[in-house]
Amino acid sequence: MSLDATVHLLPALVDLPFREGYVRSIVYVSLYVSGIAVLLSTLFSIPVAIVMGFTDFPGKQVVKAIINTGMGFPSVVVGLLVLFIVSNQGPLGPLELIFTKEAMIISQFVLATPPITAISLAAITGVSDNVREAARALGGTRLDTALVVIKEARYGIATAILAGFGRAISEVGSVLIVGGNITSAGGVSKTRTLTTAIQLEARQGQYDTAMVLGGVLLTLVLTVNAIVVRFGDAGSMNR
Amino acid sequence: MIRLSNVSHAYGGEPIVDDLTLSADPGEVVAIIGPSGVGKTTVLRILALFTQPSSGRVELDGQPAWAADEAERLALRRHVGMVFQEASLFDASVARNVEYGLRVRQPWSDRLREGLWSIAGSNGTPGAVREALDVVGMGDKVDQSARSLSGGEAQRVSFARALAYDPSYLLLDEPTSDLDPRNTGVIEEAIREARDRDIGVVVATHDMHQAERIADRVAVLLGDGFTEVGPAETMFESPTDDRTRKFISGELVY
Repeated sequence: MSLDATVHLLPALVDLPFREGYVRSIVYVSLYVSGIAVLLSTLFSIPVAIVMGFTDFPGKQVVKAIINTGMGFPSVVVGLLVLFIVSNQGPLGPLELIFTKEAMIISQFVLATPPITAISLAAITGVSDNVREAARALGGTRLDTALVVIKEARYGIATAILAGFGRAISEVGSVLIVGGNITSAGGVSKTRTLTTAIQLEARQGQYDTAMVLGGVLLTLVLTVNAIVVRFGDAGSMNR
Repeated sequence: MIRLSNVSHAYGGEPIVDDLTLSADPGEVVAIIGPSGVGKTTVLRILALFTQPSSGRVELDGQPAWAADEAERLALRRHVGMVFQEASLFDASVARNVEYGLRVRQPWSDRLREGLWSIAGSNGTPGAVREALDVVGMGDKVDQSARSLSGGEAQRVSFARALAYDPSYLLLDEPTSDLDPRNTGVIEEAIREARDRDIGVVVATHDMHQAERIADRVAVLLGDGFTEVGPAETMFESPTDDRTRKFISGELVY
């Protein structure tokens, strides 16, 4: 279909050349892979940011520099490294993860962790020393003080998680390399995500399909952002 | 009694204060006056057990604070409230701010239970919180966000936050330096109320008139030590030390 067809996009929506369940399966794979990867990244990143925000240790600046460098790490390189690790000859070869969602989760974990850690750390260290001192002065223990700081940094931490999710779900290079962009014989996605599907459709000249999938991706990202922002607003008075 | 005995403190090899002795009894207001940058905040931080002095003794109700272990020191610290020059309120409602000191003194089981209840709905405001807010005239702002308060209101809430858990001693670091006369009056009245509750108050201020209005005793910090410590009524009328006299009369300019 030519690019002109996009002008008639709305009527085309009811008659797109999608097989039954195709789009749904792609959305599911995208959300599943990015969601799990960001969940694991968050569970790893927040404690790391807290430890780095509250303690001084030799080499802290080096660790910070590595995390910041990680934010700009090219995703195709991450994909390539994960491919080596999960390939038959790699250390995780026996687990047969290559071209699976799990391999995609690993690569997205690697990509999402640096922004979540770095932005959370910036939020935590950005909390005024006066607030820490106030918590101590009011009789707080070290743990109480840490909890106050995390609470004060909560919007920054939420932004960090969103940034991680944004990087994961909009990422193409690494999931293409380690996932393979595979569908089953019935046309249902196995490792095809919205981004890899868009890339494939555009390459095949299916611009209207690619744009619809792009619209779905945008809607997903906006919805997740809106939920987090709304959640933050609702909680702002009841803390 | 909260007491410093022969306390000296240096930072980075530079002596800040030297050989200080000062005490405050329950129900007494002691003002530390001196020019900005002389070390008044350092003295308060030492009294609050935030800073360990380079030498000398800090005692709270007869117990040497720095001979105790960390848990014992925390227990001692919890008898002391401190209000800073900046209000430093948490990004939460006024009630949640003032409750904080009470909450951290509860066992974790109670705190978790109350946390769960607060998700289900409001727990209500504890009486001590309302009482403390009433002292500073903020009883009607319980549910307001701390972020929405003016500077004067925030400082009043900060005072209520330290008063709510009924400390034995209250340390105030220039509590009214950024406030207008009305808010200053409210804070000074609250200091008198604290004294009536038998709380020992140490207030650092560069405002000599304020010291004269609220203090029972005054300690003049000039250079690196107290030049004079004595009753407020005689200090301003007839200081015995020559530097104190010059400072009070405005001749000694820093």
